[in-house]
Amino acid sequence: MDELDALRRMRTTLAREENSDQLAMRVGWRAGVSPQRRRRAFRLPSTFKLPMVSLAAVAAVAAGSVAVLTLPSDSAGTGTGGPGKVGAPGNALLVAATSVEKGKAGKYWHSSSIRGEIFAAGKSAADHYKIVSLQRSEGWMGRDGNSWWGNQDLPDRPWTDQDKQKWQAAGSPSQLEVPSAEGPVVMFLKGASTGMSVRPSPPDDDGVFYGLTQKQFAALPAEPAQLENALLNLKGHWRAYQPDGPEQPMRALRGKARSRALSDVAESLLATAPTPPALRAATYRMLAALPGVKAEGRTTDPLGRTGTAISLPVDSTVPLGLYTAPKQLGTYRRQWIIDPGTGTLLAVRDLVVTPPRGSRKLRPGDNGKPRSLQVKDMPDRFHKPGEIVSYKVFELGEWTDTEPKLPGQ
Amino acid sequence: MATARAVSGHPGEKLDDLRIVEVSLDDPEAFGELFSRHAPRLHAYIKRRLGPPLADDLVSETFAIAFKQRERFDGRAEFSAWLWGIASNLIAKHHRQESRMYRAFARTGVDPAEDGVAELASDRAAAAALGPRLAKALAGLSAQDRNAVLLLAWGELSYAEIAATLDLPLGTVKAKIHRVRAKLRKALPQEKFEEKNDG
Repeated sequence: MDELDALRRMRTTLAREENSDQLAMRVGWRAGVSPQRRRRAFRLPSTFKLPMVSLAAVAAVAAGSVAVLTLPSDSAGTGTGGPGKVGAPGNALLVAATSVEKGKAGKYWHSSSIRGEIFAAGKSAADHYKIVSLQRSEGWMGRDGNSWWGNQDLPDRPWTDQDKQKWQAAGSPSQLEVPSAEGPVVMFLKGASTGMSVRPSPPDDDGVFYGLTQKQFAALPAEPAQLENALLNLKGHWRAYQPDGPEQPMRALRGKARSRALSDVAESLLATAPTPPALRAATYRMLAALPGVKAEGRTTDPLGRTGTAISLPVDSTVPLGLYTAPKQLGTYRRQWIIDPGTGTLLAVRDLVVTPPRGSRKLRPGDNGKPRSLQVKDMPDRFHKPGEIVSYKVFELGEWTDTEPKLPGQ
Repeated sequence: MATARAVSGHPGEKLDDLRIVEVSLDDPEAFGELFSRHAPRLHAYIKRRLGPPLADDLVSETFAIAFKQRERFDGRAEFSAWLWGIASNLIAKHHRQESRMYRAFARTGVDPAEDGVAELASDRAAAAALGPRLAKALAGLSAQDRNAVLLLAWGELSYAEIAATLDLPLGTVKAKIHRVRAKLRKALPQEKFEEKNDG
């Protein structure tokens, strides 16, 4: 981070752009009307300090409108429990650990999650709308090493009500090409979900968990520090981007890169793996002890469930081990939303800290032509700080002794 | 770094802005479209410089001036650069007020600009780390230097746009920002730039 980045991180809460109509109403701007008259007519004296939210609410009431504070950036940013209340670091994680510790394990951990990625259609910040691309994934992972997985594409849809209105104003196109870091992608906004066909994963397919065999997985220690130590031995491509090369143990990472890798594995332990209750509790406790992990207060997940936001000290949110070159031009942060009372991981979401800017040279592609990463190709090119770029919501996670129904059964 | 987000969204907009200004000479209400296009981003920038209450005042003042002087806008520069130039002059008039806020932030660790603004605890924590040091350095900058570096960092303008906005030669802007960055760099602890939490 250089001094310019440091500067960009300062006062980001104030950088949120407001809707121009609300703004015009609040500052009382009308072409040809002098500021003095406006001020008398519309404004509170500026020495009378109210939080901005209240001013906006006052303006909304004055206009007989209530559709003010419903942008996703608001729900993501301030949560529902109000700002400023900081839980003791990791406290919610420790509560979750206690909640989950005493449960009973079944034969299979049955889970279902929806991943949402947000893209933008349009040419300018003022004239664009956002679309969320959705995919569901369902799995059964057995403690005996057997597992079954299925995937399903859901129709993409406009992200907010406002985006929906703009999409409709554009003629409700059912297919739409939008930019992404890997070239244009097509959104399908109408039509039905694809079918979900669940298939057994081949046995001994690369181990059951990050290369661990079923036996090694079962031997993971249920004590937080020992668990962390064991996970640091896991080998993989743990960086957000790196040239191809041999896998490395996670221990080779430092600082935020290590926290990111540990939290990715922790997410799998809690969300998809057949993790016994004691190990599940240890996972929460391990996370609570990581430097930079913070509880942020109450919020709601993308399904509207209430939970506690946990902020993770990550320095990149792109999937690990997939890319050999950078794919993002902004900076981001990651939050978990957990329900401490049941010890459930409800969702993971990534938020913009600094919107994409500048460009970055990439190595030449297959055709040998020079390439670069450009803001105009970024799905989040019109995002503002605090807005969501992607999320994963865990809609189901439960023990079951029943194997999944397979096609033809 | 010089290729930051353009002030005006897309290439067609320049003509549109100019045409709207021309139309607004006969039909003042038409100017409202320029407010819709440019006010939210300008407002967000001024909020970051001077805090929300003053930002409301300055946005309306900026547009009042732009409206009153719209006959003088000849389209040689981008409308947005012209508008941000008016705003930059107004902000410079509040130089002392702005400096006071930076100094208070540096002294207390609480940023008066964010007073009463709903924010995340994490943002406060992040600000607490480097904010006060940066604020102290910002407090010591001249109005012109402050405009230049903050148009870059907070306004997300390119060097060329900053030059147009402040009506300065491009080389002068680059030199200015280079110098200011060196000052800011000195204000920051060097170890902050390295990853520390080696678990």
